[in-house]
Amino acid sequence: MLNFVVRRLLAMLPVLLAVSLLTFLIASLLPGDLALVILGDQATPENVAALRRDMGLDQPLWWRYLSWLGQVLQGDLGRSFRTGQTVLQAVAERIPVSLQLMLMAEFIGLLIGVPVAIACAARAGGAFDRFMTGSAFAMLSMPSFLVAILLIYLFAVELHWLPATGYVPFTEAPLGNLRFFVLPALTLALAEWPGIMRVLRSDMIATLQEDYIALAKAKGLKPARILFVHALKPSSLTLVTVTGINIGRLLGGTLIVESIFALPGIGRLLVGAIYTRDLVILQGVVLLVACGFVIVNFIVDMLYAVLDPRIRHGHA
Amino acid sequence: MTKIAAAARKHAPIFLVAAFALLPLTGPAQAQKSGGSITVGQELEIAGFDPLKVGVYDTSTFTAAAAIFDTLTTLDEKGQAAPKLAVSWTHSDDYMTWTFKLREGVKFHDGTPFNAQAFKENFDRQKDPANKCRCAFYITNIKEVLAPDEYTLVYKLTDPSVNLPAVITIQSQNNVVHSPTAWKTKGDDYNRNPVGTGPYILKSWTAGDRMVLEKNPNYWDKGRPYLDRIILKPLPDAQSRFASLQSGEADIIWDDENDADNIMKAQKDSKLTVHTYKGSGAAVYAFNTKVAPFDDVRVRQALVMAIDRPKMSQAITNGLSRPASNPYGDGSWVKCKDDGALPFDVEKAKALIKDYGKPVEFKMLVTATPRGRMVGQVLQQFWKRVGANMEIEQVDQATIPSRAFTRQFQMTPWRIVDLADPDPQMYANFRSGSPLALAGYSNPELDKLLDHARVTADLGQRSEDYCAISRLINKEAIWFWTFQNTYYALSSAKLKGFPKMYNGVIDVSRTWLE
Repeated sequence: MLNFVVRRLLAMLPVLLAVSLLTFLIASLLPGDLALVILGDQATPENVAALRRDMGLDQPLWWRYLSWLGQVLQGDLGRSFRTGQTVLQAVAERIPVSLQLMLMAEFIGLLIGVPVAIACAARAGGAFDRFMTGSAFAMLSMPSFLVAILLIYLFAVELHWLPATGYVPFTEAPLGNLRFFVLPALTLALAEWPGIMRVLRSDMIATLQEDYIALAKAKGLKPARILFVHALKPSSLTLVTVTGINIGRLLGGTLIVESIFALPGIGRLLVGAIYTRDLVILQGVVLLVACGFVIVNFIVDMLYAVLDPRIRHGHA
Repeated sequence: MTKIAAAARKHAPIFLVAAFALLPLTGPAQAQKSGGSITVGQELEIAGFDPLKVGVYDTSTFTAAAAIFDTLTTLDEKGQAAPKLAVSWTHSDDYMTWTFKLREGVKFHDGTPFNAQAFKENFDRQKDPANKCRCAFYITNIKEVLAPDEYTLVYKLTDPSVNLPAVITIQSQNNVVHSPTAWKTKGDDYNRNPVGTGPYILKSWTAGDRMVLEKNPNYWDKGRPYLDRIILKPLPDAQSRFASLQSGEADIIWDDENDADNIMKAQKDSKLTVHTYKGSGAAVYAFNTKVAPFDDVRVRQALVMAIDRPKMSQAITNGLSRPASNPYGDGSWVKCKDDGALPFDVEKAKALIKDYGKPVEFKMLVTATPRGRMVGQVLQQFWKRVGANMEIEQVDQATIPSRAFTRQFQMTPWRIVDLADPDPQMYANFRSGSPLALAGYSNPELDKLLDHARVTADLGQRSEDYCAISRLINKEAIWFWTFQNTYYALSSAKLKGFPKMYNGVIDVSRTWLE
């Protein structure tokens, strides 16, 4: 197992390096001049030139990448020129919000998706299965901003059950905090469960046709026991991967959902950085998020190996 | 008339206005209630308050600055300068020197006394070339600020300004007064820990979420403010911002014409109030008259005559936008019987283009926002109808000023903002040789009118001058105007005392809850 972990860790290095290069290029190749952005509307060409020199913007691209990478490796991702905050400070303030949102969304997604998948698989091709598969398609084709607005109008404006926007930290008011997260998490989850459901459903249908299930049935085990104990675990391999990938995908979803529900998370930070051309924050956040994604994938691989020993031995 | 008598006559209106300005604050007719807390839903996140860091305040920052800081002067309900940190003012005959008497006994939130020296330090810090502040551009017309004694402040200007006290009322990066002790001791952290003399003190600020302002118990204006607490929240999405107002999480929200549906919904809702202010200024466009095809007046006139403003307003904002025929607008004291606006006339426009004889093809800059794209597309259709082909060039907002200043455009969008006096903007936009005279157009008659308007005290005469300027610009079609500036805020009907939204600023520092 240790050998496997080390192998996977080493494989991550080139990926991380590529991620850093791409992140750097995104910010460098964006139209517009950072010096001009900082100095603003009234910058004279001399001022811009001086600032470009100060910031090393007149150096070749490879040199700038290497010196930036050097700083990043020392833990210095730079400082926003608008707010004076360091990237790490800004991210540290915002990350708990996004993590909570993503975890709650994934949790709600699983909560809906897994039971539905099991029920569908148990009677594949039946009326419930057909209805839910259809609904899943419908949900997948709904854009999240539309879902968000519909939920807000129903639960906040009409029924007054939940707040439309806002946030309190969990440490300040745990219940209040959860209330603020229900609608945004539900918005994301409604786009999540169809994928979860479809993957688990088809895997379970396949598992249910295996010989050992037939044997279990022959032994007279209860259908529920067969479904949950004998069929669920071997059918959930793909689900683990999907869940891992989803977390990365969810980060994209937070850009929209956090803006609509006014949650102070990473998504909002990123959108704000784009609007204000705060390239230092943009670069830093994209880099950290990309690294986070690589790490989540690593964890998924590890889980995979735990679930299916064939993988860590390199047979599958 | 003796010099003193002349001076007294000149200043009388200012003192009269000052007396009127204080009336609503003390009048018994309005029963202000103390206590309570409101939440303000804003469009943008605030980056900070240190002019050296943020450069220029945006509309969301204005709202916070109006509560945390004071300015020397303020605008009353009639749009005239009234006292705030300055109690009175006088000027030299040539309007190149203005002397302000400051309010005594005012302290910043950190205990630092407010006086002429503190103000001067604010000014010098922005002006100092070593600080490279973007904010410095907006005070280039002020040569220096002097503090001859503790409560006297002298502005020395590079050009005359007949209406300086009204011009410096906006809660902008240049006008609000910061505590010198605070920025010196806090350094980099000052940006997000501002200290002013204003009615509210910054209590806490959670990035991206909320800014909590608490009542300043030692505010110089006794009895004010009324609310105990103001919470400012960035709610970037227009739909959910409006939903927050409907569901009661916000008491007042920022809005604009592009959200016309919700404004109309609020107008019909008895629990909500629509605050609107028809300011001066307009959304405007400049032709680069130095390049073809705009070096020919026929082409410029044809394009202006092809624009159907009411139809455009309908297409973009459900008819909420108010067409503009001059750069001043209904909110300005400049009133013109004849502003020389070119009529909407498709046939005449077609004839002018035909007369020009060459194909009319050009590029127009628009902002890379849904709003900018839409405006571009509508104009494109109008112009196509009269035989002119416009290509839309989308660029981000920050690029437009730099392209405009370096004259790398054929046509660019611009804005004349709501200021108490047309002089600063008109002079900068149209005087020959000004870096902001984007059209590249020069005319001695126009220069003469601009020069005359800025040194004339008589408002009637100045109004005449500005109307003549409008006639000239409209006739030559070097710039054109589409819609006047209109500002919106939507609030719960319980919120009272909300003042006029000069320059679109949501100033909640004087409001109370019924």
